[in-house]
Amino acid sequence: MDEIRIIKRQKHFGFGIMEAARRLDLLVMLSQRQIASRYRQMLLGVFWAALEPLGQLLMLTLVFGFLLRVDTGGYPYPLFAFAGLTAWWLFSRNLLAVASCLQDNMGLISKVYFPRLILALAASVKEIFDIAIMFLLLLVVAVVYGYAPGAKVLVLIPLLLFAGLLSLGLGLWLASLMVRFRDVRPMLGLILQAGMYASPILYSPALVPERLQFYYQLNPMYWVIELSRWGLLDKAVTITPSFYWSLLLSIGVIASGLLVFSATEKMAVDVQ
Amino acid sequence: MGKIAAHMREFFPFMGRDETDYFWSLRDVSFEVKPGEILGILGRNGSGKSTLLKILSGVTQPTTGRAELRGRVGSLLEVGTGFHPDLTGRENVFMSGVLLGLSRKEIAAKFDEIVDFSGIEQFIDVPVKRYSSGMYVRLAYAVASLLRSDILILDEVMAVGDAAFLEKSQKNIEKIANDGRTILFVSHNIHAVRSLCHTGMLLSKGQKVMQGEIEDVVSFYMRQLHGLGEKSQSDISDRPPLVNLEKADGWDDERPHTILQWVETCDGDGNPTRMFKTGDSMCLRIGYKLDQVVDANYFSVLFIDDLGDRVQVMYSLHDDAEIEIGASGVIECRIDDLRLVSGEYSLTLDFGRIIDGHLKFLDCIPDATQVRVDLGDYLGPLGLRPNQGTLAQRSRWRLLDNRL
Repeated sequence: MDEIRIIKRQKHFGFGIMEAARRLDLLVMLSQRQIASRYRQMLLGVFWAALEPLGQLLMLTLVFGFLLRVDTGGYPYPLFAFAGLTAWWLFSRNLLAVASCLQDNMGLISKVYFPRLILALAASVKEIFDIAIMFLLLLVVAVVYGYAPGAKVLVLIPLLLFAGLLSLGLGLWLASLMVRFRDVRPMLGLILQAGMYASPILYSPALVPERLQFYYQLNPMYWVIELSRWGLLDKAVTITPSFYWSLLLSIGVIASGLLVFSATEKMAVDVQ
Repeated sequence: MGKIAAHMREFFPFMGRDETDYFWSLRDVSFEVKPGEILGILGRNGSGKSTLLKILSGVTQPTTGRAELRGRVGSLLEVGTGFHPDLTGRENVFMSGVLLGLSRKEIAAKFDEIVDFSGIEQFIDVPVKRYSSGMYVRLAYAVASLLRSDILILDEVMAVGDAAFLEKSQKNIEKIANDGRTILFVSHNIHAVRSLCHTGMLLSKGQKVMQGEIEDVVSFYMRQLHGLGEKSQSDISDRPPLVNLEKADGWDDERPHTILQWVETCDGDGNPTRMFKTGDSMCLRIGYKLDQVVDANYFSVLFIDDLGDRVQVMYSLHDDAEIEIGASGVIECRIDDLRLVSGEYSLTLDFGRIIDGHLKFLDCIPDATQVRVDLGDYLGPLGLRPNQGTLAQRSRWRLLDNRL
């Protein structure tokens, strides 16, 4: 009976992290729910998480590795592409999941209040869970191709987490926009496709003209992907000034995403 | 062009808005609810009840104004909040509890009681999508009401579940209130509101119209709904007992024929009045005019109480004596011993014809007139309290044996 809650129009702007942290229980349950409801009714269960990307990898290898013979600098194409795709899949799926977290859970958020950031975090946790399976698969593929991973491969863990965080920040921006503008959703597919070709996933970054490299490397995913290849395949990477700029950019996106989201989450229900 | 601008304004708030673009779904609603109180919130559809509850549960933010809540709010804005169809009953209990802000430990402590109350032990590990809607609701209700919360918000939860469960949950709500927890209750089931709540609040068009004892609020609300008007009790006796019906509104605001001309209420001696005592005689005189004279016509009088329930219906066909209904005249309905309990009653008059064994109304006037009945000493000094029925029935008691 001691706890007093005051409800009024809130004007303060914050990251909303503390509020979310207080409801850790809820985050755990929502994440579990998402993971469980995805795999429960599927016969092959967790294996689907691996099967789908493997099929995609096979097709990409056929087109880019076998037909177009993209120059990878000597690395086997499937491994080269997989090393890049792992981070990209996490990024793109998480972006989609976070961006639509408010819409997908409208039934819930219009009935009970809790910090909405938890929905975005739960979506991210689920995507990271999925990608963990893929990461193990990547290691297997690497061994098959004779690139037994060393200790350096552990760098992929923070890299993947960073990709998750970056897509969370960007996703929060999109989720905030999507509350008002439903048009964002159909545009997302296009944007993600553009992002995929703007990152060195299916081709080697050496193909990009020298004078464009500075801008090309501003893309944070460039660094995530190239550093992943460094960790897995020992592919050489040079840290250029763009690295720091892109890092700064990422932090800006994440921080502003949190700010914007915590400001718009409160009216999400009303605008519906 | 104006349309486009209006459309754009909807998306870009900075383009400015007119005051007319706003709709206040709730305004000037100030009230206080004490611990242990069960407050019933009444109002027609769109009066702002749900908006109020949404604000109190934190789902929507108020544009202006504030609310202070002491304690944890458990809300049941809709039964089954947060239930996921693919998860089992057990998992969903925990899910909902955590959503309401409880720790897993607290939920586990209450788990058995919840399952017991909902009566679905057998199916607790079955995904809730396989539940019948009744099971689903029972579980959801059990979760919301048994998980400890200091303020419980119930929005139209009594609309579901069978009679047995309804009774069970009513008892449960009373128990919750006895524990010193506060309940805000919204329902269109006026009987549930009246029997459960202590106090009531009436909203109309987003504004608080009235707050007070539940009996007063309910009867005020029902009178508003059923044409007894907002007039106070003394007014009924002030109004003349003779009412002209030529311009009165019919059923659904339509009168296929204007047959009923006027109505007058009189006591047993034929003196016009609107005030009656239980056990007295009552005479209703109705003036009528017919376009054509046909057989098998009937008159009827319906007594509607302040809850909108029909408490008594009388047809001219109930009388064994056949009456010739001419082209025009005055017909009298005589009730020798009025059995209604204290209260105000609205009278609906109906004139119709029996066609192929079915009653077909030709002229029906809801709320044609109103009367006030006073139980007096018809049932002795004890009398009847509100909620003890709508009928005063004398009974005789005697001791058959003084030893069992």
